[in-house]
Amino acid sequence: MVTKVIQIILSPVLALVIGVFFLGLARKIMARIHWRYGPPLIQPVIDMIRLFYQKSVSHGRMFDLGIILSLVGSVVVVLFMPFGKMCPLRSSGGLLVILYIMLLAPLGLAFSGGQGANPNISIGVSRKLILSLGYEVPLLLVLLAVMTHYKTISIAEVVDVQQSTGWSIISWPLFLSGISYLLILPAILGIRPFDISSAPQEISSGPMAEYGGKYLALATIEHAFVLFISIALFVNLFLGGAANPAIFFVKMLLVFVLGLCTNAVFPRFRIEQAIKYLWKWPTLLSFLGLIIALAVRS
Amino acid sequence: MDRNQIKKWFKEPAKMANKYSLHAIYFCTGCGIIEVPPVITARWDAERFGVIPVATPRQANLFLITGYVSVKTLRAIIRTYEQMYEPKYTVGFGSCPINGGMYWDSYNTIKHLDKYIPIDGWIAGCMPRPEAIFIAVTHLWTLIDKGMANAYIKYRENYEFYRRNQEMALGKLEWPPLYPIQSDVRTVENG
Repeated sequence: MVTKVIQIILSPVLALVIGVFFLGLARKIMARIHWRYGPPLIQPVIDMIRLFYQKSVSHGRMFDLGIILSLVGSVVVVLFMPFGKMCPLRSSGGLLVILYIMLLAPLGLAFSGGQGANPNISIGVSRKLILSLGYEVPLLLVLLAVMTHYKTISIAEVVDVQQSTGWSIISWPLFLSGISYLLILPAILGIRPFDISSAPQEISSGPMAEYGGKYLALATIEHAFVLFISIALFVNLFLGGAANPAIFFVKMLLVFVLGLCTNAVFPRFRIEQAIKYLWKWPTLLSFLGLIIALAVRS
Repeated sequence: MDRNQIKKWFKEPAKMANKYSLHAIYFCTGCGIIEVPPVITARWDAERFGVIPVATPRQANLFLITGYVSVKTLRAIIRTYEQMYEPKYTVGFGSCPINGGMYWDSYNTIKHLDKYIPIDGWIAGCMPRPEAIFIAVTHLWTLIDKGMANAYIKYRENYEFYRRNQEMALGKLEWPPLYPIQSDVRTVENG
């Protein structure tokens, strides 16, 4: 009981630290790929301190509540996510619960942006929703394949089985599903070539357009949580989780650096190009993967 | 980051964070904006000092006024400046915002920008080299350290003066005053 309470307090803090570290690392690695020196690793922390000390204006009650809703949603998902062997709520919920609560984060930002009443926010939110329509089709097929193959909806059990039988991305029934998840990962993370919803040059950073001061700091924290969640989900489902948090962290780091390399070299898709891509190759691969998983099972 | 600054970080976190996280707003006010892309990209990497461009005035705290200011741009500059959250810093870039520069006798440009919005510092030259932006940033650090980068406080205190100048240049302004104006209060008392 006591360990459970400690884990419930500790795991969001750990997720936040890792997410913010990833944000700093992203800026540093991007700079090195551009042949620049880059900012210090703790630059996001410096920015956040500055933002919390800055004055800010609220645009209404929903503007405040929306961002809190998305933060709470992300924290709850973190509690269901196994991190090494640490998973505070492993006996309850599972993949379906994670899928449902993951929707709260973009929804909260959309609510908050609606009160902001800036046309750029509306465009950004609609782009974000269209993009999520694009990547959720293959994502659902991938998760269905995983659930069919392991005959469970509990993510902790999926990790446990992989601990004894090996990673699922190199086991042949789930190979195609894993590749498909890897292909849609940039869209889930919102990095290039899929940063259409927060394009600074086109629509003034979209949903973030009216955020400043502590609101922007909270949005940055939320972004850090989203980074952690989407990478941790991939590591848990396809890279076999890990026996201890350190190995888990190393696996997350590898996946993230892979994503950053895509981010550094690709230009931005237009929205219809993104949908065309997402509904073609990843969907096809994940559909084949689901069929294979079904065939192996029967 | 310098190691002997850690004590300073604990003493005055707000000041130190303001220094090392200057987010400049993307706003092409004049010809000097040509000097900004080399500064933020690979040649002179401004991000190592924490200076990056951001898309909206809400997220920014540094406003570079690059080059000449036409009357039409002045309207946008004032609105952008008033949307930024405090503490905010402004730097006039090039000789045109200082005294008109080569447009000193133009009918359509503003000669002295600091009559309309407060300015923390100037970079002279036509055009200044990109390195001048770094010199400006380090000067701004010194000013923030000494508590002298307080143009936004001046704007609050002398808002009546600035608003009057803005109305002289632009005619009637269609946006409400940012701070309460003393003369408005007087008319309310009289009427």
